[in-house]
Amino acid sequence: MQLTPRRRGRVSRALGLLTANLLAAAGAHAQSPTPTNEQGAGAPVDGGGVNDDTRSDIGLTRVDSAVLFYSEAGGRVKATEPVVSVALNSSSGDVLSIKLTADILTGATPNGAAPWSGSQTFITPARAPGSTTTVTNASGGSTIVTIPGTGVVSRQYVVAPNQLPVDAGFRDKRYALDLGYSALVNADTRLSGGASVSTERDYSSYSVTAGASRDFNHKNTTVSASLNLEYDLSKPFFGTPTPFTVMSADPKGPNQSKMVYSLVAGVTQVINRYWLAQLNYSVGWTNGYQTDPYRVLSLVDATSGAPVSYLYENRPRTRLRQSVYVGNKIALGPTVLDLSGRYYHDSWGISSVTGSIAERVPVVRGLYVEPEARYYHQNAANFFQNYLVNGQAIPTFASSDSRLGKFDALTVGAKVGLKVNHSGELYVQGEYYRQTGEAHPAGAPGGLGTQTLFTGVRATSILVGYSFAFY
Amino acid sequence: MKNEMRESLWTRGAAGAVGAVILATCLSGCVGAAAWDRDLLARKSMQLNTHPIVTAYHDHIYFSKEGSSGGRTFDGGGCGCN
Repeated sequence: MQLTPRRRGRVSRALGLLTANLLAAAGAHAQSPTPTNEQGAGAPVDGGGVNDDTRSDIGLTRVDSAVLFYSEAGGRVKATEPVVSVALNSSSGDVLSIKLTADILTGATPNGAAPWSGSQTFITPARAPGSTTTVTNASGGSTIVTIPGTGVVSRQYVVAPNQLPVDAGFRDKRYALDLGYSALVNADTRLSGGASVSTERDYSSYSVTAGASRDFNHKNTTVSASLNLEYDLSKPFFGTPTPFTVMSADPKGPNQSKMVYSLVAGVTQVINRYWLAQLNYSVGWTNGYQTDPYRVLSLVDATSGAPVSYLYENRPRTRLRQSVYVGNKIALGPTVLDLSGRYYHDSWGISSVTGSIAERVPVVRGLYVEPEARYYHQNAANFFQNYLVNGQAIPTFASSDSRLGKFDALTVGAKVGLKVNHSGELYVQGEYYRQTGEAHPAGAPGGLGTQTLFTGVRATSILVGYSFAFY
Repeated sequence: MKNEMRESLWTRGAAGAVGAVILATCLSGCVGAAAWDRDLLARKSMQLNTHPIVTAYHDHIYFSKEGSSGGRTFDGGGCGCN
């Protein structure tokens, strides 16, 4: 059969596209499905849909930037968090990455005390001794007071009846720097390392990480393992309180630290042409100060439930955490399904299950929408207590932090992404997160039985991001 | 009686071994994709973590609001989160 010049052109273009696809496919392996060398493959591969893009970042510098606006209902925590990440991809496959994060936090955070039908006054050391600054909160103002005859400067705030006790003096800024380097040792082996620093006024964290991954089975299987070593320093504004002492304006103890050792080992497997799966096992050991220095428990009357005093909490100094995580990416026609689950257990007695699902659906050329949902359930730590009862023995450990209690959480949201030029993407994500738990646990004494003791979070967040690459 | 039990255990054991061999054979033969059959896997949208920054945001939020963390990667948020 003779081909006309026009047909020869079509066949030639089709063959070129097929070749590019094959080269792209040959580069796809279990750990990173898109290491296509654009220069080697010739024309970039894009089947037309926004989900079909197989362009690689090899030889490019990619800039990821985003800002998160996070807000909790009830005047609680508000956060604005801008992030910029730069990844320098060499033509040999090595990657140097730098990430800068800022976190600006304001609002009110529960202080751990139980609500009560009468007003409650809380006294803490002043954050700035001698200051006359008054901080306003949802349930009244905070006032700086010098206790006569002692010279001790305290900050007092009053919580209205039947309101969740929160400390509105919560205000902080966090800055973090993450550095990472990943090198392709040979066609199948990659080594990586990194370091990060995070600092805020009352907390600092330093960590180093090292990892390796290797492809097997014609790049259908990738086995990886990473180690992380973290040192954290807790330096509360007024020191670390002695556990179960009465909340007061007295100066507290010295700064405290902890060490965290973590290992993540995993297997990534190409199941078939449409399905990529990941299985991870994680184990972490924490040793050191893990108590929240700002948090108290109400010591309540055994009959009426009225608060008698407020005692600083105490948590164990060691914690062993383990989890199994399963992630899946499945191509369903033009859409991509992201399905993951996790089981977690730790030595504090917390067990949790998490399941999440998201589906990336192309809408029109260059535009996709990705609805998502996440379900989370945890049971309580074995030392979680909503309050302590006056006259009963004080336990070795106790905390009323709702994050250590039993609750369910649901996240729903959606991301909309728009392809910009060849390598850029603009995306917006909105999410709603809600925790639900037992508001009126059985056995609460007296009037405490009518109070809402669950202090879970309802939060909305908006994330705006832009990512682009250049030579 | 003992012989029957022994035979039953042997039968079950043999059946299990045969099943394991079949499963292993199936996994080695049925799982995976040839290099020329990975066009879909090569898509950016098929990466396990398409938006690392978004994942980091999620991990940080959940770390600061829930009692458990980690799994996909290291837990911990580098913060004394309130």
